[in-house]
Amino acid sequence: MYSVALEDVTKRYPGGGTEPVVALDAVDLAVDPGEFVAVVGPSGSGKSTLLNVLGLLDDPTDGRRLLSGTDVTSLSVGERTTARKESIGFVFQDFHLLPTLTAVENVALPTAFDPGDATDRAASLLERFGLGDRLDHEPTELSGGQKQRVAIARSLINDPDVLLADEPTGNLDTDTGESILAEFERVRSEGVAVIAVTHDALVEEYADRVVELTDGVLVGGKPREGDDGNESDGNESDDEGPDLFGDPSPAPSEER
Amino acid sequence: MNPGAWRPAIAMASRNLRRNRVRTVLAVLGVCIGVLAVAVLGIFGNVLALGADDAIGDIGTQVVLSPNADAGVESLSEADIAAIRRAVGEPAVVPLYSDGAVVSGPTEQGFATVYGVEQPGIAFEAAEGRVPERHRQGAILGAGLAADLDVGVGDRVEVAGGQTRVVAVLAESQTFSPVAPDDAVFLPESAFAADGYDQVLVVSETGGEARAAADAVRESVNDREERVDVFELAAIVDEIDEFFDLLGTFLLGLGGISLVVAGVSILNVMLMSTVERRQEIGVMRAVGVTRRDVLRVLLAEAGLIGAIGAAIGTALTVLIVAALVAATPAVDAAIVLDPTNGYYLLLALGFGVGVGLVSGAYPAWKAANERPVEALRS
Repeated sequence: MYSVALEDVTKRYPGGGTEPVVALDAVDLAVDPGEFVAVVGPSGSGKSTLLNVLGLLDDPTDGRRLLSGTDVTSLSVGERTTARKESIGFVFQDFHLLPTLTAVENVALPTAFDPGDATDRAASLLERFGLGDRLDHEPTELSGGQKQRVAIARSLINDPDVLLADEPTGNLDTDTGESILAEFERVRSEGVAVIAVTHDALVEEYADRVVELTDGVLVGGKPREGDDGNESDGNESDDEGPDLFGDPSPAPSEER
Repeated sequence: MNPGAWRPAIAMASRNLRRNRVRTVLAVLGVCIGVLAVAVLGIFGNVLALGADDAIGDIGTQVVLSPNADAGVESLSEADIAAIRRAVGEPAVVPLYSDGAVVSGPTEQGFATVYGVEQPGIAFEAAEGRVPERHRQGAILGAGLAADLDVGVGDRVEVAGGQTRVVAVLAESQTFSPVAPDDAVFLPESAFAADGYDQVLVVSETGGEARAAADAVRESVNDREERVDVFELAAIVDEIDEFFDLLGTFLLGLGGISLVVAGVSILNVMLMSTVERRQEIGVMRAVGVTRRDVLRVLLAEAGLIGAIGAAIGTALTVLIVAALVAATPAVDAAIVLDPTNGYYLLLALGFGVGVGLVSGAYPAWKAANERPVEALRS
């Protein structure tokens, strides 16, 4: 059973003109537990849309979405929130830690409003990432690499099935980026599927599989299948899909 | 659903408020001023009303009954008096003879109303000398008349040609009434040869009792025949009370306007703050914090602004009112300490917190319901 899978998923946005923008075009993607998949492709190819759809932040227009074998294609807002909390971890390029919370509180943020105290769990996660002496530091007191480690710890607080990373090394120097990738390696070895959208060649080195997204068409989405089933002719529309994660290029859908 | 979730929400909210201290302090100040205005103006109006009640209270406690000349009743008999006593019950009934006469002192003289009264002690108070329980001899002078004639207790005066001694001078009266004691002289009943009373005073403890007494007289004594005219000021007192109620509402309304302005400033602060923190809220939603909990945090922020502002405003009100009492001897401390003023404090406190929550509701709802995908986009 795959940790996460998309079957024939299409995502269209109402464009500025009459033609809708196709951000994802009949995408098939499946990731095994413990597999590290890197998604590469030029900006505007739909990478962030892919992450949003995978991460239950956005719904596909067509197709099916599965999380550990469960169909999660169309859930209510509340159900999606719960599913995100329980099964999906997010790591962002800009770390996105809450500035008012300490490291340990940031890690425990997903469970902050639940009964019971997750501080111990958060602290032991931080210790695992070598931040045992930084528990009560605020984000401004941490380096970029430390912040990203805090973010990874946060993504793991609820033992997710999938970790989604958007340019996780994008704001880090090479050495720090490498150490973050080593952390992903460990996360992966614990059976968590890791999907990273990246421009960084280093990430590709660490990945088990590299899939390429061009103009919404994904190549190599299924493991153990090779590229046969999903050959792209590259004849899709030139419109760029919106990049929702940190890509500064303006997307047509922002005009909504 | 989950009351325990308020604690982390309030903790998170208070840190968010500390992040932009100046803005928070200004919003708190706005609520503080609003609450202060409501509480101070509310208490001010209430003190005015209470003070007026205190000052005009006497007017409403007297009922004056006189024979109804239109029905051919020239005077009130002992039987009428007995019927009135039965009708009014508790309040004291003081029957009066009345006439007019020239009153002369050693040097001055003037025309005055002369009353014949047996029990003046029930209705009148002395400024000088003592008002006897049973009036057997001598004259009791109203304050105005005593001053005009330039006489005091022990002096001799001449009333309608007869010599008598002044036994008491009444305190200046503060009531409007057909029985005006200031320019009158009170003699014992024995000085009059008339066979019926000209007026009856009904003296009650409270305005309500006076009204009840007047109604009772109308219902029983005047049941079959309109024997007596009933003159009461309780109705006027009601009107005055109504006016002060209106004044109080008006002042409260003035205060309310400033509280509304405070609410708008909270709305502004919360809208700005949620727009600035759009991404953070998006991150919270992305990592699995529910809309309800995001709403909780933002409502807690607005509620805290309201609560802190209201608490400070209430405390300041207490100080200002205390200073007012200390600086103005004319204001009776008992009136200011009246429990009804506490009600205005609580009202203002509640309004302050309420304004915070109401103004915070829209920005909080808006931020909590934004799709995280939109919010995360930088």
